[in-house]
Amino acid sequence: MTEHTETMTALKEASGAVSAAQETSPPAGRKGPPVWLDMDQKELDDAYDQAKYAPNRDQVLRRNAANSELARARLGSPQRFAYGPTPVEGLDVYAAKRSNAPINVFIHGGAWRQRWAKDFAFMAEPFVHAGAHFVAIDFVGLEETAGALMPIADQVRRAVAWVFRNAARFGGDPNRLYVSGQSSGAHLGGVVLTTDWHKDFDLPRDVVKGGVLCSGMYDLKPVRLSARSNYVAFTDAVEQALSSQRHLDKLNCAVTLVHGTCETPEFQRQTRDFAAAIRAAGKPVTLLVAEGYNHFEIAETFANPYGACGRAALEQMTLGPV
Amino acid sequence: MHGDETQREPLTRRTLLAAAGAVAAASGAAVAQQGAPKGRRVWLDMDQKELDDAYDQAVYAPNQEQIAKRRVANCEGVRARLGAPRRFAYGPTPVEGLDLYPTKRANAPVQIFIHGGAWRAGTARDNCEAAELFVHAGAHFVVPDFINVIEAEGSLFPMVEQVRRAVAWVYKNAASFGADPDRIYISGRSSGAHLGGVVLITDWKEFGVPDDVVKGALLSSGMYDLKPVRLSKRSAYVKFTDEMEEQLSTQRHLQRINCPVILAHGTYETPEFQRQTREFAAALKAAGKPVTLLVGVGYNHFEIPETLGNPYGLLGRAVLEQMKLTSAA
Repeated sequence: MTEHTETMTALKEASGAVSAAQETSPPAGRKGPPVWLDMDQKELDDAYDQAKYAPNRDQVLRRNAANSELARARLGSPQRFAYGPTPVEGLDVYAAKRSNAPINVFIHGGAWRQRWAKDFAFMAEPFVHAGAHFVAIDFVGLEETAGALMPIADQVRRAVAWVFRNAARFGGDPNRLYVSGQSSGAHLGGVVLTTDWHKDFDLPRDVVKGGVLCSGMYDLKPVRLSARSNYVAFTDAVEQALSSQRHLDKLNCAVTLVHGTCETPEFQRQTRDFAAAIRAAGKPVTLLVAEGYNHFEIAETFANPYGACGRAALEQMTLGPV
Repeated sequence: MHGDETQREPLTRRTLLAAAGAVAAASGAAVAQQGAPKGRRVWLDMDQKELDDAYDQAVYAPNQEQIAKRRVANCEGVRARLGAPRRFAYGPTPVEGLDLYPTKRANAPVQIFIHGGAWRAGTARDNCEAAELFVHAGAHFVVPDFINVIEAEGSLFPMVEQVRRAVAWVYKNAASFGADPDRIYISGRSSGAHLGGVVLITDWKEFGVPDDVVKGALLSSGMYDLKPVRLSKRSAYVKFTDEMEEQLSTQRHLQRINCPVILAHGTYETPEFQRQTREFAAALKAAGKPVTLLVGVGYNHFEIPETLGNPYGLLGRAVLEQMKLTSAA
C-alpha cells in the first residue's frame, strides 16, 4: 500500500466509515501516475465523488426532503417570483414577519445537476424566525445545458441581482443581502462573491454583504482533471472564469467557509486553501472545521441556529441566537 | 443456524430496510444473511441472529462511531460558549453527580436529560449537546452521571435507583439554583429513554417527593418492555432476572404514568427499536394516557437525538412545546 492510499484509509477510518470503506476502497493495485497533487486518477476521481466518502447520501437527501415538507407545512408556501424569462428561473421567498428585513439567498448543491429550491425549505426556519427572509433559488442543471457551467453561473448571478433590485417587493432590505451555499452551490456562491456587479449588472460593487460557503470548490482545475469532466464541459475559459480563488480582487465582503472532517480530501483541501488565499489577500475570512460531519451532514447544520452553518450565517447577519 | 425452518427470507428486516432505503447501511447485514437458512424463531418472527442484530445499533447505524465523535466535539463547543456547568452531588458515591447548565431566568423550568449508551457507556460531560436550546429558551439543563451496568455487575437496578434519586435531588434543591420544582421535565434517548420510562413509573413516596414530580417527558429510541432485550445478546452483559424484567419494563406499569409523554424514533432504526416505541405509544393511548408519537423520516438511532438541540428539529421543537417555551433563536 502506498503512502497515499494509507492516507485515505486513515481518513476513512477516522470518520468511522468503516463499512463504507470496505465497499469502496480501490482494489489493491499499484498506484498510477499522479494527476493532481499526489493523487492518481482513481484517487482524484474518488475525491470528487461524494458517495465514496458519504455512504448515507441518499438517506440524508431523503431526510432533507421530508423535513422540507414539514417546514413548508409550518411556514406556508413560499412566495414565488420569476427572476428571468425561462420557467426554471424562479425563486422561493420564505418571508420574515419584520419589514425591511435582511435577506439570505441560499444556493443549493447537487453537483451542478438539477435540484429544486423547494427541497431546501428545511433550512428556512432559523432565518425566518430570527427575522430574515430566506430565499432559495432555482436554476438550471447541467443536464439542460449540455454540460456548460456558464449558464448556471449566469442564472445564479441574475437571481442575486433580482433580489437586490426587487427586495422591497417582499419586504427585504437590499442593503442587507447575504449569500449562503453548499457543495456546488458553494462553488456558485464563490462565483457570486467574486462577481463584478458594477461592470456586469450596473449595480453597486457591494451588493452582497457576506457569505457562508459550505463544502465548496473554489478552483476548478482539479475538478476538471477528475471524472466530473464526463458531465461538465470544462474549457480553459470556464475554468478561469469560475474559479473564484483566482478573482479575489473582486471579493469585498466577509466570508465564512465551512467543511466537515469526514468529507473527501479534496473537498477539505479546497475550503482550506480558499480560506488561506483569502487571508493572504488581506480579506476577512473565518474557517470552520466541523468534527464528525460528512458532505451531506454538514449542510444540515444550516437548519439549526445552534449548528455550525446556521450559527455562522445568523452571526454574520448579526441575528445570532444570543 | 437451525435447520428446522424453510429457507425463508428474513422478510421483516429486509422489507423494513428496503422501505427505509438503507441500502448502503444494510449491505453488510444483508450479505451476512444471504444463503443462511433462518433459524428457530425466538421473538416475533425473528431468529436469534435477527433479534441480536435488532438490538445491535452498529448493524443498522454504520456511522455510530463518527456521530459519537461529533457529539463529543459539539459538547466541547457548547461548554466553550456556555462555560463549564455547575456540578452538584446528588448522592454519596463519586459518580452520583450532575451537570447543571443554568439559564439566566429566575424560577425557571428544568429539563433533565438522561443519556444513552446501551446502559454501559456515556457521561454527562459528553451529553450536553442540547444545552444551548434550553438555556437560551429559559430553562435549566441538567445531565446526571450514573453508574453503568458493567460497574453494577450486570444489574440495571443501581442505575435506575441513581437516576430516580437525581430527579428527586433536583426537585428538593431546585430553589438553590433558581429553578421551579413544579416544572421539572425529563428527556432521554436509547437506554436513557428506557431509564426515563422507568422514572415515569417511580413510586415517589420512597423518595419523599410528590407523585407528579415530573411534568412531562420526551423519550427517543428507547426500550419499554425488556423481554426481547433479555432474549437478545444483550443478556451477555445485562444479567436479567424475572424481577428486573418485570419491574423495569415501563409498559407493564402504565397506571403509574401521570404526565404527557412524547415518544420518538427514526425510520432508519432497527426493527425492534421502532417497534418498542410504536407499541409503547399504542399501549399508552389504549390506557387513556396523553402520548404523542413522532417518527423522524431518514434518521437512524444516533442521528435522531441530534435534533433535540435544534429548536426547529423534530425533538427540539417538541420539547419546547411541551415545556411551553419559545426558542430564543
